[in-house]
Amino acid sequence: MKNGILLAAALIIATVVLIVIGTVKPIPSAEHFAGEQNLLPSSSTPEAAVRNLGDEISLGHWARAYDSLANKTQFSEDEFIHDLTGYYANLRTDATLNSFEVRPLHATENDAEMRLTLHWATVLGPSESTRDLHVTRVGDHWAPEWPLDKRPAVPPQVIPVNYLRWDVIYPGPGDDWGVQGVEAPHVRIVDMRPVQRAEGVVILGELLNDDVVPAYVSVTATLQSKTGKALATEDSFDKISHVLLPKQVTPFLIDFPDATLSSVGSIRMSPFSTLVPASADPVIEIDNAHLNPAPDASLSGELMNESGQIVNVAHVLGTFYDKSGQVVWIGDEYIDRALLPQTPQAFLIHIPEDLARNVSSQRTVVSSFEYGGVL
Amino acid sequence: MLKPELTGESQRPIPMSFILLAAVIVHLPLLLMKLPLKSYDTNFHIFFASHYLHHWFDPWNTKWYAGFSQATYPPLPQQWVAVLSNLFGLDMAYMAVQFAAILLLVIGVYRFSRLWVGPRAASIAALASVFLGSESFLVYSAGQLGTTFAAPIYLNGLPFLFDWVRHGRGRSCLKATVLFAAAAAAHHATLLFGAFFFALPVLALALLDRENGARVSTSAFLARTIAIAVTVGVAIAFVLLPFWIALIHYPVTQTPIPHASRANYILSPQYGLSYFIVPYGALILALPFIFWRGSMVARLRPLLLGFWVAFLIGLGGTTPVGRVLLGRAFEVLTFERFSYWATLLALPFVGLLIAELVARYRTKAIVGLTALAAATCGLAVSWSTYHPADADQGLSVEPVAAWLNRDGHDQYRYVTLGFGNQIARLAVMTDASSVDGEWYSGRMLPELTSNGGGTLTSSKYFGKGGLDALRAILMHADHYGLKWVLVRDPSYDPLLAFAGWRPVDYLEDKTITIWSKDGAPPATPLNAPQIPPHWQGVMWGIFPFGSSILALLVILIPEKRRQKAREEYPVETGGLAPGRLAS
Amino acid sequence: MRLLAFFASGLALGVAPLAFAQSGNLTLPKAVEAGAAFSIATAGSGKATLYIAGLGQVVKRQVDLGQTVNFPVGTLYSAGRYVVVLQGDQEPESGEFDVVPAKGVAELSFLARPSRLPVGLHDAITGAVYVFDAYKNLMVAPTPVSFELSGPSGAAQKRTVVTRFGAAWTEFDSTARQGADKFVANAGAASTRRVISQVPGDPCGLTMTAKRDGKQVELQTAPIRDCSGNPVPDGEVVTFTASFGDDQSTADVPIKGGIAKIDMPIQDGALISVASGVVMGNQIRWEK
Repeated sequence: MKNGILLAAALIIATVVLIVIGTVKPIPSAEHFAGEQNLLPSSSTPEAAVRNLGDEISLGHWARAYDSLANKTQFSEDEFIHDLTGYYANLRTDATLNSFEVRPLHATENDAEMRLTLHWATVLGPSESTRDLHVTRVGDHWAPEWPLDKRPAVPPQVIPVNYLRWDVIYPGPGDDWGVQGVEAPHVRIVDMRPVQRAEGVVILGELLNDDVVPAYVSVTATLQSKTGKALATEDSFDKISHVLLPKQVTPFLIDFPDATLSSVGSIRMSPFSTLVPASADPVIEIDNAHLNPAPDASLSGELMNESGQIVNVAHVLGTFYDKSGQVVWIGDEYIDRALLPQTPQAFLIHIPEDLARNVSSQRTVVSSFEYGGVL
Repeated sequence: MLKPELTGESQRPIPMSFILLAAVIVHLPLLLMKLPLKSYDTNFHIFFASHYLHHWFDPWNTKWYAGFSQATYPPLPQQWVAVLSNLFGLDMAYMAVQFAAILLLVIGVYRFSRLWVGPRAASIAALASVFLGSESFLVYSAGQLGTTFAAPIYLNGLPFLFDWVRHGRGRSCLKATVLFAAAAAAHHATLLFGAFFFALPVLALALLDRENGARVSTSAFLARTIAIAVTVGVAIAFVLLPFWIALIHYPVTQTPIPHASRANYILSPQYGLSYFIVPYGALILALPFIFWRGSMVARLRPLLLGFWVAFLIGLGGTTPVGRVLLGRAFEVLTFERFSYWATLLALPFVGLLIAELVARYRTKAIVGLTALAAATCGLAVSWSTYHPADADQGLSVEPVAAWLNRDGHDQYRYVTLGFGNQIARLAVMTDASSVDGEWYSGRMLPELTSNGGGTLTSSKYFGKGGLDALRAILMHADHYGLKWVLVRDPSYDPLLAFAGWRPVDYLEDKTITIWSKDGAPPATPLNAPQIPPHWQGVMWGIFPFGSSILALLVILIPEKRRQKAREEYPVETGGLAPGRLAS
Repeated sequence: MRLLAFFASGLALGVAPLAFAQSGNLTLPKAVEAGAAFSIATAGSGKATLYIAGLGQVVKRQVDLGQTVNFPVGTLYSAGRYVVVLQGDQEPESGEFDVVPAKGVAELSFLARPSRLPVGLHDAITGAVYVFDAYKNLMVAPTPVSFELSGPSGAAQKRTVVTRFGAAWTEFDSTARQGADKFVANAGAASTRRVISQVPGDPCGLTMTAKRDGKQVELQTAPIRDCSGNPVPDGEVVTFTASFGDDQSTADVPIKGGIAKIDMPIQDGALISVASGVVMGNQIRWEK
């Protein structure tokens, strides 16, 4: 009987201890679902308070995140959510917070400045946003103040919509052989250059729509060995602007991971174009584009939506040239906030450090996406 | 010694016919309503079965992952579904096989419980299995046919293991071997972990009992144990040979995919509800009794320890035990099945507890326990409605399948986005091949295995890993002949638009958009090294299914007259008064 | 049904060599015009079955030997060689005759390429014609086909080409005027028309002006024309670029109403340029 009691006690105590260990110091798999918080989340330091806020945001616990803010009386929970995910449909709307970092900037006994960097996972790849939070001591714990970006005030206005649009009417099923069709738009590659990078071979180039109709374009490249054997085939994927209006030029970048240029004898380029319905709107202006030198070489600037419609997602493609006008790199960035009419939106395209010193000029194009587009 | 009237041993056991009738009454209507179709994995098993229906001797299935081997998953229940589908159709054949598993569980629990407790408590345990929350959870919410099919076979085999080790009866050795092989053919993990949770306690019981009745020497015990372990090992190695070959050549090394059963159920109480409260139900109330009685009665201690370990691992990430004991396998396994096994191990205790409660409180106990059983079963059955596998129940894949099957669309591969777990149903209906799928251990496409995403159709719910996998597969669309992306969730539209895909058609009142990639070549079969050779296909078609047929045949071999139940079931109490324990 | 016809045709062709040597009771026409009436005379007595088989057509008739079998208009309409087999009580007899296309061109298949091209290109427009009779038989006999390409102004390029084996083709220059050109092919009574869209070439002499518009500068091109004076169509993209020091602002603006126009924030001293595709326009230095 004594043994039995000892065994029962041992098992029960062991069970409780194991549960406590698993809760106070969760294993990584459990952290994935619970965040880095444990059973007794503490806001005893400014960093812990911001970290707890990051956990709540990553778990989508908006109400708890909002409640933890010191300045929550200054805005509503909805405004807080929209500040993080956007007021209009955009890349962040359905994104998940993949991870976050907290870095102290400044601290005193009663307040501190912390930098919260949020790494979002969007359908178009990772997106990063940074907020500097003021954290204050409230009694025995710390509470962060959220620096809310107020919703951009778009004045009520009526904008006449008279943009150009192309539609395509295809032959009906009853039309006979030999009846005239409409040809694919004429496009041509106006520049092309293979580059060896550490990750593999990259083909850089530019494509021009040489026609008077809009074109849906892509570029496929095949690396061939010196004996003419195909080594690899890749296409431009999203490193191109796929819809080109007449006389519009897009850069393109084709990535061949793990390939080496020395083993390549020739490259076969296959531009593809087809006729698609398209609209000349929206016109997006690129303002104050500026090449920032190394370190952290980049192209920064602002996008200005000149049309009356909201652009949900914008893709900025920068082409970088050397002094002789040759393409040396192509970079891109997706804007994870909707572009509102006449409201500037900053962009930043990173340039590889080793190429930055060769860059002397750039050319930037923007392509856009609006939800609910038609066929 | 316990007083017989208090342990309930003086009372008659519940007739097996009554228990089976209860199983029929509770589960048959639910299965006839095809309730499991709402679960996570039922359509997955039906998809596998549909392949066996058309390609019995060829486990290479080209409909998922541009081709994968079904020899990476034990085939027995799915092959039975395929066979019965000739009579009932695939859906009802699945229900029939699941129903058979439920009935077998009743018998298996009774037989297993008889090793530990008397006939009445064992019969109550069998009756409790009808209302077991974890069983209903796995059947109606998780759809784990393999686990729920293998466990009853395994439980039915364990008494033969005991009989062989304890008494050295050759027939029992044969029956145990064949049943264990059939259980492995249904679900390998059940046998693997069952060896620790179920077989080791049974062997320990045989060791503890070696002095009771016909004495067995320790050396004989060891020799018999080793003999049956080797025999079963060889049988399973042979029956599932293509499976082991695939596992050795292509071990599961892919990036782990998060699963909520690995969560800490206290820090993430929503998952605690799904993976602890629902499967255990009222059995939670019996936990103190299990620990107390299991500790006090020396003969029950092996069972308690088996239960305890399964219980702790079944808690997923709530304790570090699973991760410590299983290592990397912890990131691959899901843990609802461990809770299932834990509850099966708990049933003999539950039988004892109920027997004692009924003996003491009669009608009051019966009413209360019936209500608890009904609530446990009801919660687990209804969980698939309150917490459906697919929140969007309005999706009908028939028009999508019809679109893929016409005008040569099936010459190309496709992937869906936002279709939830309906992709298996779609795969059954269409002739086209997809690069997506729901059988993660069978996939070999590097774009999928190198990222921590699950199904492509639910990419965004797997965060960065899922979206990276989707992006990678779209980048290599030409390589796979991937031309169609069927989208039911517009949040993926920006990716497709910027990646060079164009919408070409709408289905279902424009709720599904079909995107196409210009210039994608028609799909060609992948010349994958994972394609099993023909001889393996023949083995796969004959031996797993044959093991179940053999099991049915050897069960018909008559048993010699059993010794008195008392000899197998010496009641040891440690001088405890059960009335006090139960209170 | 068609399968049966081909089968019977094959059967007839198979037995033909055997019967050919014993020919004598059949009198066949040398050639029959597609769709025309014709007759076949037989000799002897008794009943027999007459088969006529060609590519795509089979005819079977019960005949009284010694009589002439008449076939009405439209019986045989597919041009080609036909085999005739007479199967009676004795050994089968056979012979051959041709069905030739009907007289008179009834239909043209006209392939005109391209459907759209810039003005002022040499031999850039091609037209190919296949001539058919009323029964869609390709007319292999030489047939004159006249091609005519006429622009909106009425000026036309004409050329007549005689078909070889049923086909004729030609090339024309694109004109200097933009617009929809009519490209017509005539043969006999048949005529087919296609439209060739001649579009302006690259902009020529692209110029812009700049004037202050509140806080911004309004940039506007002069009406944009190609080197032949055709207005460049709306929708073509014109790129405005303003450079000041290391900063640069750009806008891709589609032409609307013949001009491209946009308001941009431009600093004093900025250099403004305009381009369309690979064609550069003028530059302006914006001063106060």
